[in-house]
Amino acid sequence: MGATLLYIEDDKEIGAFVKEHLEARGYGVKWLRSGERAVEEAAGCDLAILDVMLPGLDGFTVGQRLKKAEPALPILMLSARTSIDDKLQGLQFADDYVTKPFHPDELTARIEVLLRRTGTGGSEPVAVKHLLVYEKENRIVRRDSGEEIGLSGKQFHIFMYLLRHLGQIKTKEQIYEAVWGDPYLEGDKTLMVHIRYLREKIEIDPAAPEIVETVRGIGYRVRA
Amino acid sequence: MSRPREERRPPRRWLARQTLLTRYLLIVLGAFLFIPIIIPLASLLYMTFDSVAGGDRHASDALKYGNAAQVEQAWHAEAAAMQGLSEDAVAERLRELKAKYTEASLFWVDESGRTRLVLPEEPVMSVPDRWTAADAVGFMKRSVNGDPFTVVSFIGGSEAGADFIVLQLPRYLVRAGSPSGAGAPYMLGFILLSVALFAVLSLLFFRHIRKRLLRLQSAMLQQDGHGIPAPVEVRRMDEIGGLEQAFNGMVQQLKSGREREREEEELRKRLIANLSHDLRTPLTVMRGHLYRLQNEPLTANGRSSLAVMEQKADGLSGLIDNLLSYTLMTSGRYALTPAPADVLRLVRESAAAWYPVWEKAGIEADVRLPSEPLIWNVDRDAFRRILDNLLQNIVRHAAEGKHVGLYLEEREGGSAIVVEDRGPGMRRKEAAGRGLHETGAGNRTEEGSEIGAGNRTEEGSETETEKRTSSPSVRGQALEKGAGIGLAIVDYLTREMAIEWHAESSEGGTRIYLLQRGAGELF
Repeated sequence: MGATLLYIEDDKEIGAFVKEHLEARGYGVKWLRSGERAVEEAAGCDLAILDVMLPGLDGFTVGQRLKKAEPALPILMLSARTSIDDKLQGLQFADDYVTKPFHPDELTARIEVLLRRTGTGGSEPVAVKHLLVYEKENRIVRRDSGEEIGLSGKQFHIFMYLLRHLGQIKTKEQIYEAVWGDPYLEGDKTLMVHIRYLREKIEIDPAAPEIVETVRGIGYRVRA
Repeated sequence: MSRPREERRPPRRWLARQTLLTRYLLIVLGAFLFIPIIIPLASLLYMTFDSVAGGDRHASDALKYGNAAQVEQAWHAEAAAMQGLSEDAVAERLRELKAKYTEASLFWVDESGRTRLVLPEEPVMSVPDRWTAADAVGFMKRSVNGDPFTVVSFIGGSEAGADFIVLQLPRYLVRAGSPSGAGAPYMLGFILLSVALFAVLSLLFFRHIRKRLLRLQSAMLQQDGHGIPAPVEVRRMDEIGGLEQAFNGMVQQLKSGREREREEEELRKRLIANLSHDLRTPLTVMRGHLYRLQNEPLTANGRSSLAVMEQKADGLSGLIDNLLSYTLMTSGRYALTPAPADVLRLVRESAAAWYPVWEKAGIEADVRLPSEPLIWNVDRDAFRRILDNLLQNIVRHAAEGKHVGLYLEEREGGSAIVVEDRGPGMRRKEAAGRGLHETGAGNRTEEGSEIGAGNRTEEGSETETEKRTSSPSVRGQALEKGAGIGLAIVDYLTREMAIEWHAESSEGGTRIYLLQRGAGELF
């Protein structure tokens, strides 16, 4: 994908390993051992990965400075702290949070989600089953026929919300509140109706949906 | 503590520096000392008013003929004027005078002691026709300060002629009301006023004290954001001032105590954070290398070892997190803010987050929750944490059951959230423990050193559906498999949010019930 990541990590072993892993995934990685020059180095980067425990300035301070200097730069916190203690403080400015020890694949997955969410993910289409999704252009195309699928505003929003959280299950409340921006009211069938229409348009067989999957009793998800 | 402030303050009036007792005693003393001043002052007032009142009466002609002195003077003048008049002329003059002093009795006695004229003809008092010396003396004696008021004058102004004329007037005509009473009401009023002044001063004094006490009370009740009252301004150095100072000292102590507590808390948090970092950094490194190994060509055995190592690294990481969280929580550093929330929604969200993990572990999820909200009074994060810990335990210890169920069931007291698995159950772990130590437990006294034996035998005697609410045995038992801290956190958080939780465990699986009693009535 070629996005450039600013990576700030004081531990040499972890840093070397993560850098190697991310570079293997095609990212450009700027690795700093401390947060002092973070703001200067952040120019031109698409995403910042911060360790919470840094010598000199701690990760939270660096993160806050970064957010102030580059508000659009997504920040992913890497932390070895206990979740209960620091999660909220970190998330005030961080866009996501990964607790150490993390699985390298989880890290890349989160980076991809963040990049996609902030639109840095590039203009390359995302392939989902038989579809190609051009998020920036609000365009969905069938891979086999090249035929474009027209979705209503809400249908597109729902699909994009699930796509941005690829592989994650979202409950109907979460989807409704993200798309409509209102608190979900009990017994509201609007979302179900929209999902039914959405499926009719994008699924090959709307009766056996492959893209927008129903997880019984929990919610919906889109899997790659 | 408050000494420097005391010195900074400008010097106060002498009175203000005295104690309340002294000040009140001063008032009482003042009142006593004032008595000798009040009395003469009252007398002076009396006299002033008396003379003013007398003068007033004269001016308004309250006394018909003037007062006694004036009548006497006028009578002497009349007598002096009769010098040398003929007897007829004297009688004539006396008749004229009688016309003037209508209420009076007049008589004229000549030098030989014979009564020449008595007016009116029928005198009120008998007048002797001939006066002896004894008569005269007796008359004079009777007349002094008697009623009627009597004036005796010798014609010609002196005893020369020895003829004398007598004027008798009823006393009331020459004396105003009660001669000793004119100023009395004023004097009484003045004394009463002085007493009232003393009473008012006392009242003001106590009112002032009361006001200051009330001010202090309200200052004590007023709290800042941390529940500490603000210090009060010490205005006077008396007993209340001392109280205020003591109060300020206490506030100061509270503040520094709070500060110290905060610092300790900060220190503790930092220590835990550092510990967490130090423990997890090597784990992360291990994790990285394990990941690298996965990409190397390995035998099937090598791969399975790798999988185990990875799983253990995960477990260790969770354990560290739970351990540190538990430390923070039990030291009261994790503030819960319960608010009404739809817990079923939280359960669904947790299930959504765990679903991929279950899928990976081949666990079938059966989630049957009604869509109507179930409102409990919970701290959302804490409730998520409870669910996370319970669901995590299923993945770690009951994955072989290949089942996780989330239901809502009616129990006595309300709707209970049920978390179900078909793993070996806690019972089996206990049973294993019991089996292992069965003999040892029996001989516990001999083999008292056997670690955990006591704990396990106690659990062994538990009934099938024993309540696990805050039971320490859960911790003891589950610690064996590393679930203990997770459950201890569940234990702690449920207790903090007044949620009951208990587990029913058998060979066939475990059902954990979560129930907030009376939650429905709360909202």
